[in-house]
Amino acid sequence: MIHCHDISVRLGGRKVLDRVSFSARAGALTAIVGPNGSGKTTLLRTLTGEQHYAGEILFDGSHLKRFSPLDLAERRAVLPQSGSLAFPFTVLELVRLGLSAGVATGRADTTALPSQALARVGLAGYEGRLVQELSGGERQRAQLARVLVQIWEPILDGHPRWLFLDEPVSALDIGHQLQIMQLARDYAEAGGGVIAVMHDLNLTSMFADHVTLLGEGRVRASGTPEEVLTDHALSSCYGCPLRTNTPPASGRPWILPQASTLTSPPVGAS
Amino acid sequence: MVELTQERSHSVQIGAGDRRAKAARLRVVLIVALILAMLLGLGWGAAGDTDVPRALAAGLGLSEASLRDMTIVWDIRMPRVLTATLVGAALAVSGAVMQGLFRNPLADPGLVGVSAGAGFGAVAAIVLGGLLPAALAALAGPYLVPFAAFLGGWASTLILYRIATRGGQTSVATMLLAGIALGALTGALTGFIVYKADDNQLRDLTFWGMGSVAGATWAKIMVAGPIILAALLCAPFLARSLDALALGEPVARHMGIDTQRMKRIAIVAVAASVGASVAITGGIGFVGIVVPHLLRLLQGPEHRNLLPNAALLGAVVLLLADMVSRIAVAPAELPIGIVTACLGGPFFLWILLKNRALLEGDR
Repeated sequence: MIHCHDISVRLGGRKVLDRVSFSARAGALTAIVGPNGSGKTTLLRTLTGEQHYAGEILFDGSHLKRFSPLDLAERRAVLPQSGSLAFPFTVLELVRLGLSAGVATGRADTTALPSQALARVGLAGYEGRLVQELSGGERQRAQLARVLVQIWEPILDGHPRWLFLDEPVSALDIGHQLQIMQLARDYAEAGGGVIAVMHDLNLTSMFADHVTLLGEGRVRASGTPEEVLTDHALSSCYGCPLRTNTPPASGRPWILPQASTLTSPPVGAS
Repeated sequence: MVELTQERSHSVQIGAGDRRAKAARLRVVLIVALILAMLLGLGWGAAGDTDVPRALAAGLGLSEASLRDMTIVWDIRMPRVLTATLVGAALAVSGAVMQGLFRNPLADPGLVGVSAGAGFGAVAAIVLGGLLPAALAALAGPYLVPFAAFLGGWASTLILYRIATRGGQTSVATMLLAGIALGALTGALTGFIVYKADDNQLRDLTFWGMGSVAGATWAKIMVAGPIILAALLCAPFLARSLDALALGEPVARHMGIDTQRMKRIAIVAVAASVGASVAITGGIGFVGIVVPHLLRLLQGPEHRNLLPNAALLGAVVLLLADMVSRIAVAPAELPIGIVTACLGGPFFLWILLKNRALLEGDR
């Protein structure tokens, strides 16, 4: 369980997070949504321990600040928004980096892990390719495989492990978006915790158990997708008209932008 | 629906993408090459008809040899071969560590002013050492010059890192420009001290500034050797952290690396090995940049394999360069720094142009 209580973060004199309270439980996929600059990534970075903050964060009952880098790395892995790689590693070597700090894996032999992780992100057979020769989406999935091997078992020694994902599907085609979101769900259903910063509200609605909507550094709404993804909350938070609908088949809301009320004049109007 | 998006399944060859076996094979080749190069260095010299095997055996108490042969092999050639081996290993490993630390394949102690900083420390110690109180000078003894070189190298590396790196990202341009500025500044300070030096000191400085292993003695090895060996022994403990750092500093921290601590250790290790090397041989360029590059092309960038193989290849390269420096203008000798620059410069350009994309990595 992750609990944040009254988290505030200032960056360059600007209050990026203002008394944010947030919680996420293991066994569920928690999504953080909100417009650009609303503080989603900052909230995730605060949870990873790389951002100074005021307030209190409890990680499975212990204060976040008490964890050493290695202890924390054994409990959670982080997929950043954009990955960089300084030298020409092969895909296999990149994924193996996830094991390089010596985090506990709960297994004696980890040689097969990288290939298993690559298969799960749909990159089976890519082991020998150089990372910089991959497409953007393939790189993002290779980085995800690297993150997965770090916390391969969703539960280790009775503790759930956490997957922090910052826009995990932003560079992916629709098929791979579904595949990666399903992977995150599977991780949660196996007992791990997943916190994902998301832009795509429909994917959020399909896959998340819990949604936190941020706007201008504050929590605007928090709850199940049905509770949070409403016409009013979304339209006011994103500053544009949005209509939600609930098809009978899934029972989950889907969101459609309303073009007719756009304020810009029609093309050709004088 | 999700099944449809699965990639076509390739048949995965065992070990695909894994260059560790390649690195292990290369290590064996390099060990053999190092032994051969050392033997060649011992056996080849201006003095002909020396019974080298016999003198070697005699030194180990297994045989007897003439005093002349003993002197040539044990007092002239052996220190020289050991110095080239140690310094070659030190320069190549510190180049590889610096490149890992700066996340940049162009970081080299010679190119970015660390050697110049170490040189300034050494020159200052040679010229100003006499100003120290006698007791202190006696205490520092032969360690004064290497220690001053270490301090100079350490300060340069630290300043460079602070200037060139922001939030764990180093820009090539900033690093090279900062290195040039730093090198020019320390060069000017060095020049000022040289200007103030007396004739005897000038002779010391001239020999030293050319970059040469010809002045190798057991005394110098006893001073610099332990420092270099200690720094080299540090390197393997940095390998995992340097690998993680390739993903950027925040990601390395996510993976459990204490990046502050590893950066401090890396900077001290680089400064110690470059400082000790510069103190005994002067500035020898390009080993630190060519050797790690070549190895990354041959066996991949994983530091656990890169660092030990860089030590071996660096030693081999410097031993061979010393051989060239001895025969190119025989009976005179070329300073080895000229040889490494002549061989290294064009070679480096060639790798760079041929593998531009590969070397620039993904950033």
